[in-house]
Amino acid sequence: MLDHCSISHRGGIVLWSRSFTPAAEQTASSSSSPVNSLIRDALIEGRNAENKYEKDGYAVKWTFVNNLELIFVVAYQRILQLTYVDELLEALKALFVQLFQPFLSTFVASLHVSSTGKVAAVNTATTWDFTKIFEKWDRLFDDVLRGLENKAAQERKSRLKHTSIHPETAIDTILPSDADDVVPSDSGATTVDEEQIARNVQALKNRLKARGRPIAGGRRRLEAGSGRDSLPTSDSDTPTKQKSKKSKTKAQRKWGDEAPTESDMASLDFSYVDVPSPNTPAKVADVTALVDQSSLGIVKDGIYEVKDWEFASTSESSSSVLTQALHKGKEEKSSAGLLSNVFARLTGSKVLTQDDLKPVLEGMKQHLMKKNVAKEIADKVCEGVSESLVGKKVGSFQSTSSAFRQALSSSLTQILTPKTSTDLLLSIRTKLSSHFPSSQQREPYSITFVGVNGVGKSTNLSKVCFWLVQNGLRVLIAACDTFRSGAVEQLRVHVRNLSMLGVGPNGATDSKGRVELYEKGYGKDAAGIAKEAISFARDNDFDVVLIDTAGRMQDNEPLMRALAKLVSTNNPDKILFVGEALVGNEAVDQLKKFDRALRDFSSASGTGKERGIDGMIVTKWDTVDDKVGAALSMTYVTGQPIVFVGCGQTYTDLRQLRVSNVVQAILSD
Amino acid sequence: MDPIITEEAVNHNVPTPEILSQAKVISSQTLLLVSLLLAVLLAVGFFAVRKRSQSKGSSLLLVGPSGGGKTAILSTLVYKRTLRTHSSMQTNMASIALPPSTKSLRIVDVPGHPRIFDQFREYMPDAKAVAFVVDASTISRNGAVVAEHLHRVLHVLISLPPSQSPPAFAIVAHKCDALKASASATAEQLAINRVRTVLERELDKRRTSHAGGVGVESLGGEGDEGTDLGGLECTGNGEFRFAEWEGGEVSFFGTSVAVGKAVPAEDEKGKDGLAPFREWLLEL
Repeated sequence: MLDHCSISHRGGIVLWSRSFTPAAEQTASSSSSPVNSLIRDALIEGRNAENKYEKDGYAVKWTFVNNLELIFVVAYQRILQLTYVDELLEALKALFVQLFQPFLSTFVASLHVSSTGKVAAVNTATTWDFTKIFEKWDRLFDDVLRGLENKAAQERKSRLKHTSIHPETAIDTILPSDADDVVPSDSGATTVDEEQIARNVQALKNRLKARGRPIAGGRRRLEAGSGRDSLPTSDSDTPTKQKSKKSKTKAQRKWGDEAPTESDMASLDFSYVDVPSPNTPAKVADVTALVDQSSLGIVKDGIYEVKDWEFASTSESSSSVLTQALHKGKEEKSSAGLLSNVFARLTGSKVLTQDDLKPVLEGMKQHLMKKNVAKEIADKVCEGVSESLVGKKVGSFQSTSSAFRQALSSSLTQILTPKTSTDLLLSIRTKLSSHFPSSQQREPYSITFVGVNGVGKSTNLSKVCFWLVQNGLRVLIAACDTFRSGAVEQLRVHVRNLSMLGVGPNGATDSKGRVELYEKGYGKDAAGIAKEAISFARDNDFDVVLIDTAGRMQDNEPLMRALAKLVSTNNPDKILFVGEALVGNEAVDQLKKFDRALRDFSSASGTGKERGIDGMIVTKWDTVDDKVGAALSMTYVTGQPIVFVGCGQTYTDLRQLRVSNVVQAILSD
Repeated sequence: MDPIITEEAVNHNVPTPEILSQAKVISSQTLLLVSLLLAVLLAVGFFAVRKRSQSKGSSLLLVGPSGGGKTAILSTLVYKRTLRTHSSMQTNMASIALPPSTKSLRIVDVPGHPRIFDQFREYMPDAKAVAFVVDASTISRNGAVVAEHLHRVLHVLISLPPSQSPPAFAIVAHKCDALKASASATAEQLAINRVRTVLERELDKRRTSHAGGVGVESLGGEGDEGTDLGGLECTGNGEFRFAEWEGGEVSFFGTSVAVGKAVPAEDEKGKDGLAPFREWLLEL
C-alpha cells in the first residue's frame, strides 16, 4: 500500500528508508523522489503547516521531531485513501525516538560542531554503524505497519458492509474467471496491484454470496467465543473479526521486504469468514485459539491503540524492548512534574510545547495581518513556524516570543528569497545570443504583463521599457489592451516620451527607433495582435517585446480564457503578474486564479506544457509604508520571485526587492 | 595613567615655580617612558590581533547547488560510510580527523536550495577552504543554474575583507562514477574538463551581460546585496578563465562516492573515490 517510508535528519542524511515498490525504489535516489520534492517545494518554502503534499501521483505525509531534528516521511499512491498514515507516522515517531534516543542525540550532536577541538573524541568513541544500529527497526516497522494496515482494512470492511450494494453480475464481468487461483508470485508493483484488486473483488463477491446468512455466521462465532458478552447483531462482527485477524498475523511473523504473496493474502483474507461450508472447521479452530489469548482484555472494546497492539504482537525480544521503551517514556512523562518544569526553566533547557506557543502564535498572526499579510497566509506561515518549534529547547535568556520571532524571521527570509534567477537582463541576453548563430533572424524576448484592472500594468511596463532601453536593447511595445478606451493612447505617450528620453550607453544618436509601439486599434483579438507584434519585432530586429494586456478580474472566465489564449499562442518568455501593494486578502485569490487559469487553459490548448506566472511586479509600493505584507502573500502563493517593485511616478522609480528590508518591515512593530 | 601624571604636574607647577623645572623633567621622562611602553604594548597587541585575524579559519565549506552530493561527501568523511541522503533543510556542521596527521577540520555543509543557499556567507569568515560541489553528470543541463550559484560564491570570495587570508578554493566535480571513461581520459578527468568548460562558458555569459548593463537599484538605499555581482574579473584578455581568475587559484577534483557502502579500510585508501579531495584537505 505504501510506496516509500523514510526517517531522516533535517540536514539531509537518511537514517532509515524503505521503498515498497520497484518504481519507488528507482526514484528514491534521484532528485525527483517524493521526499526530495517535498523538502524542496513544501518544507523549505514554509509550507509545512499543510499536512499533505501531492506530487507526481504520490501523496506524501510527514511529521517532525524537532528536538532531534528528524523528519518522518511516508509516501503512497495518491488514489489510495489510506486512513492510517497519520497514525503510522505518530507510532513510528514515538517508537523510533524512544528506542534510539541516545544514539540519535550523539548523531545530532555530531552534526552541530561549533569548534573542532573536543569533537574528535566524540567521533572516535562512537562507531557509526548505522545499519547495525537500525537492524531491529526493520522488524518493528513491519509490525507497526501490518497492525495498522489490518486495522484499516477491518474498518473499511465494516464500513463497506453497510454501504455497498453492487449487483453481482457487474462484479462477475470485472472478475477474471481464474481469479480464485492466481499463481503466487514474487514482489512487483503490478502483480501486487492485480492481486489486491483480485482479492478485493473476491471479498466482495463472497460477501454478496453469503449475504443471506450473515446472522448465522455471527451466531456461530459467538458460540465459539463464549466468554464475551457481545450481541448477536451484525455489529458484533467487528471485534470478533479483529481477533481472528490478529491471530493470523501472529502466525505470519516472517514478513520481510517483499510484497505479500497470494498465499499470504489467503491467510489474511478473512472474507472467507462468511463463506459457509468448507471453511467452517478452520474458522472454529481459529476462534477457540483466540479465546485462550491473554490479551483479551485489551481488545475487548474493539479499538486498537497502536502501542497496545505493539505490546501484544511483537515477537519476544522486540516486544520486551518495546515495552521497556514505552514504560520508560510513560514514567518520564509522569515524573516530569512541576518541580522539574521549574528547574528546566531555571537551567534554560525548557522545551517548547504547543501550549507555550499558542498565545505567541495568535499574537503573531494578528501582527502579520496588521502588516497587510493575507489572513490565510498569516495562518499558514505562523503555523509552519510553530510546527518547527514544538519540542525545541529555548535558551535561558530567550523568551518564547523572541524564539518565535527569530524563527519567523528566518522563515520569512526563506519564503521571500527567490529560488529562480531574477536577472532579467541575463536571460534576455542569453536568449538573444543563443539564437544568433543558428539562424539569420533572432527570436525576440517577450514579456507579458497581466493583472487586474488599475494596478499599473501599462505604467510599470513603461518603466521596465525605460530600464531595458538604458541597457541598450531595442524594445517593441505591443498594445494588446484593445478594450479600455485610451489604453493605446496611453502607451503612445509613453513611447513618445521614452524615445525622447531613451539615451542608451551608446549615445543619443543611436536612440532613435529604440522604442516603438505596435498598435492595431481597439476591439481586435489581443492574441492575434501579440502574434503579429512578435513577428514584426523579429523582422525589424527588436530585442524585446513587451506585451501589455487588458486588466481583468480573476473571476471573469471569458476574459481569463482570452488571456490564456494569448499566452498559449505566443508562448512569451516571461509572464509577469502585476499586483498592487495595497491589496490585502484579495492578493491570494487574484494570484491563485490567474495562475490556475493560465495553467489550466495553456495545458488544455495542446501545447502540452503548463505555463504559470513566472514572476511578479508589486506596484504602488510607496503608498504602503511598512505594511508590505502583500509581498509576502504574493510570493507565498506562487513561489515565484518579485522581479521589480514600482515605487513612484517617474520612469526611474523601479526597484528590486531586498529581502532583508521586507522582513524587517514586516516584523517591525 | 597619562591623565594622572599630567594632573600631578599641573598641581605641582601652579603653586611653586621652583619645582616646575624638576616636575617638568620628571614628567617628560615618565611621559617618554610611558609612551614607549604604550607603543610597545600597542604594537604587541596589534600584532596579536592581526595574527588572530590573519590566521586561517578552521572550516571546510561545502557549497553548491542542490543535489550535488555535499551531504554525501560529508557523511563519507565523517561517518566513514556513505549514507543515503535527500535535500538538506539545514546546515550540517561536523568535524573530522584527517588520518595521517593529528589535524582536525570542521566541515560545514550548506544546503544548496536557492532559498537558503545564501547562508554560506555566515560561515565565510571562518573558512579555511571552500569546496564548490557540482554534479558532473548533469552539469550540461544545469549549467546556467550552477553558474549562478558559483558566481555568488566567487563574488563573496573576492570581496572578503583583506584582514582575512583568502580560503583555498576548489571545484569538486562529483558523481564521476556516472560518466564513462574514454580511451584517452579517465572518468575523473572527463568530469573535470566538462565541468570546467561548461562553467567557464556560463560565467563568461554572465560577465558579458553584466558588463555595461545598468542594473536596477535595490529598494532601500545602497548595499551590494544580490543586485550587482562582481567577482568575475580576470587578468587575461577579458574572457573568463578559472586559471586567470583574480580571486586566486582554483583547484579541480573529480570525486565519487558509492551510496550504502562503508569506506574501505585505511590501508587501501587509494580506491576511495574521494582520495584526491582528501589529499587536498591534508595540504591545507
